[in-house]
Amino acid sequence: MKRVEVRLSITAVAPLLDLIKSVVDDLRVNLAVPLALSDSDAELATVWKEDLLESQRDDCDRLFSLFDQEFFTEGVVAFDRDNAEPVLRACAALRLRFRQTHLAKVPDETLEALEASTSMSDLDETIQKAFACFLFLDELQKIILKYLDPMAEDDDE
Amino acid sequence: MIDPVNHTHSEPSRQDAVETMSPRGWRVVFLNDAVTRMSYAVMVLRKLFGFDEPTATKHMLEAHEHGRSVVWVGVRENAEAYVFSLQQWHLSATLEPDETS
Repeated sequence: MKRVEVRLSITAVAPLLDLIKSVVDDLRVNLAVPLALSDSDAELATVWKEDLLESQRDDCDRLFSLFDQEFFTEGVVAFDRDNAEPVLRACAALRLRFRQTHLAKVPDETLEALEASTSMSDLDETIQKAFACFLFLDELQKIILKYLDPMAEDDDE
Repeated sequence: MIDPVNHTHSEPSRQDAVETMSPRGWRVVFLNDAVTRMSYAVMVLRKLFGFDEPTATKHMLEAHEHGRSVVWVGVRENAEAYVFSLQQWHLSATLEPDETS
């Protein structure tokens, strides 16, 4: 099975994990994307919400399992075909939730400019940290989509 | 996963992933958001609907530019299953009756 190991800076990433964990906890009870069903679909929405939350929790747990002993000793996280999709979904959910909560006051244009420059010196400290998480999760998605795109043909079988 | 009949969960069949199906159908409308990476959205649309890359990219760009893109039309049960799957991948989507049919 194809496996991609990524060496991360422990000193850069470890300080972000507490904040990411707090958003993971938030996602245990709140959907990253609110259900967009009409009032007549209330019963359906109730059933879906529980199942979507369960799926969201499982995905976030898979993401957090990357930061194990190997990460804290070697700085290495590993992706493969088994964890690629759950981690992609978890990163998507977390980025959306960061945008709705910690980064809610940052205008879209500012966020886009920041993503282009990655310079955070103008932001206050709490927003800087949230934005660093936002970028880090985006980087994880980029790496997975580049090396383990679920739609790419398998080249390891 | 949605079982379209019982409103429990099973992913829709790829065989159903055609852009237009029966008359009097329901639309699956993919909605834009300003956060999600475009390449991620394209990958998900390909995976769920069986689109080729240009078709998925066309829908992603339509949603990006116009706020929404109709990605599937067909029977309600399957449309619900697609909306659920999109939600599972954290892409905003809604269901609406196809007024043109």
